[in-house]
Amino acid sequence: MTRPYIQWLLVAVALGLAAVYLFPLYWMYITSFKSGSEIFANPPTFWPREIDLSIYPNVWTRRTMHVFLWNSTLIAAGVTAITVIFGTGCAYVLARYRSVWVDIGLFSVLMLQVLPASVMVTPLFVAFSQLGLLSFPRSAVVLAAAAKAMPFFVVLVRATFMTVPRELEEAALVDGNSRVGAFFSIVLPLARNGILVCAILTFMSSFGEYIYSKSIIQDPALQPASVGLSGFLGPNSTDWNSIMAYSAIYVTPILAVFVLLQRRIVSGLTSGALK
Amino acid sequence: MRRFLGSLRDGAGFDILLVGAAMVFLIAMAGLPLIYNVLMSFQQVDMFTLGSLIRPWAGFQNYIDVVREPAFWLVAKNTFIFVFFSMGGQFVIGFALALFFAQNFPGASTIRGLFLVSWVMPGLVVGAIWSWILAGDFGVLNTILKNFGVISSNIFWKSDPAFSIWAVVIANIWLGLAFNMLLLSVGLAAIPRDLYEAAELDGANAFQRFWTITLPMMRSTIGAVLSLGLIGTLQQFDLFPAITEGGPANTSTVAQFWSWQMSFKLYDFAKGATISVMMLILVLIASIIYVRSTRHEVRG
Repeated sequence: MTRPYIQWLLVAVALGLAAVYLFPLYWMYITSFKSGSEIFANPPTFWPREIDLSIYPNVWTRRTMHVFLWNSTLIAAGVTAITVIFGTGCAYVLARYRSVWVDIGLFSVLMLQVLPASVMVTPLFVAFSQLGLLSFPRSAVVLAAAAKAMPFFVVLVRATFMTVPRELEEAALVDGNSRVGAFFSIVLPLARNGILVCAILTFMSSFGEYIYSKSIIQDPALQPASVGLSGFLGPNSTDWNSIMAYSAIYVTPILAVFVLLQRRIVSGLTSGALK
Repeated sequence: MRRFLGSLRDGAGFDILLVGAAMVFLIAMAGLPLIYNVLMSFQQVDMFTLGSLIRPWAGFQNYIDVVREPAFWLVAKNTFIFVFFSMGGQFVIGFALALFFAQNFPGASTIRGLFLVSWVMPGLVVGAIWSWILAGDFGVLNTILKNFGVISSNIFWKSDPAFSIWAVVIANIWLGLAFNMLLLSVGLAAIPRDLYEAAELDGANAFQRFWTITLPMMRSTIGAVLSLGLIGTLQQFDLFPAITEGGPANTSTVAQFWSWQMSFKLYDFAKGATISVMMLILVLIASIIYVRSTRHEVRG
């Protein structure tokens, strides 16, 4: 086909583009490795003169990050649990039939996804305060964020269920399984990988949830890491190496999971994203 | 009763139960708040009536008040700039990258996958990183631009009223680029190769092939990407508190951030709800375009 040196040229250009695109990430890590005075060097250094990691334990204790990250984990786990439990069944049924009702169901699920969280937060806050849910702020955030995450999950998992052959389920029904039995012993195990990837995506996106937590949770001991970060971040921040160290601690687990599962995540997204 | 239980275990009742549970949850957490939001936009809401459902009726007074706010037209203009240029940037750069990565070279899909990293990062962290890159006196972007001779003196991206909205637009283009590129790549991959070969035999050059094959074949994908882009841009919130907080003097406030500020900074829930309802109309238009553009696709 094309001559080999053109191929390598393309690879080089591709790597160059990726490097430009990922520069912000590089800059986050590099800034957090610099000492407090070096970050204000003019011109900025693109590789730290001396690597200074002392900011990490410092930020960890000073910003009580273990509390924030624990809350983030709790909220993300709650959101993922609700989304998977309600969303999987819904996606299964929407994938199983083809009728006007399925189209209507899918359309209404999609419509509920397009509402910006910043639009929903005002009525949710007022309704939660009337119901007294504001005394359990983390649960309130979990409920609100799960409703936000579920439509996307349903659309992606539905695409996964579409790939499970109907014949297998029908064979199980002929063999005397009930619908419940066929669902749990045939369909679910076959769709397991797709569901798992979508659950991980849901977990990662709710791990960074900000607007509901910021509006609903007032007690710092219950706030997630995103709200903790916003506490010392603003247009006039100067404490950049702690902000970057905080960000690095916050996103490194997410990035690690993403890099490990990159192939599966991308194929999961591409199969379901446009349908 | 036994027939009912039997249908739950082995019949249509099972399907209805599965869909019903999800639907009830979604309607309770998203449908009802939406209606409540519209209701609140027609009521007088203050700290005293916050706890009651029946409040004094305000008619269209909230809408009139919002339009009369001194910041209203500024926010409308900012929202337009933010939406239009974020979408435009994400789409054009995303399309260019998708075309590039559609070339056949080793590692193309792996390197392309790296771009999606931005998509899984918390919006607030992305905002923090860009806030630092864009910083006026020690930001690295100013240094790079000066080295290339684009600018001669530092731009104060976040505090100069002429640039503050663009600071958020730049960050948002970076954030949304990858998703656009991914969806467009999927669309590109679906175009049959032989169309291009036939066109090449007929003597069409690369530009003609793009114009007469790629664009028409991608029409539904492009429609979906643009409407998802509009929806996504209107959902973007986290970058604002991280980069500019809407300042200076509201020059980078957009509708979704303004609505939130009304409710949670000024505790004027009625105005917050009113602005939300106004935005909702925009979102509805985008959704209709989205549904229309995916309707013709083959399901399966």
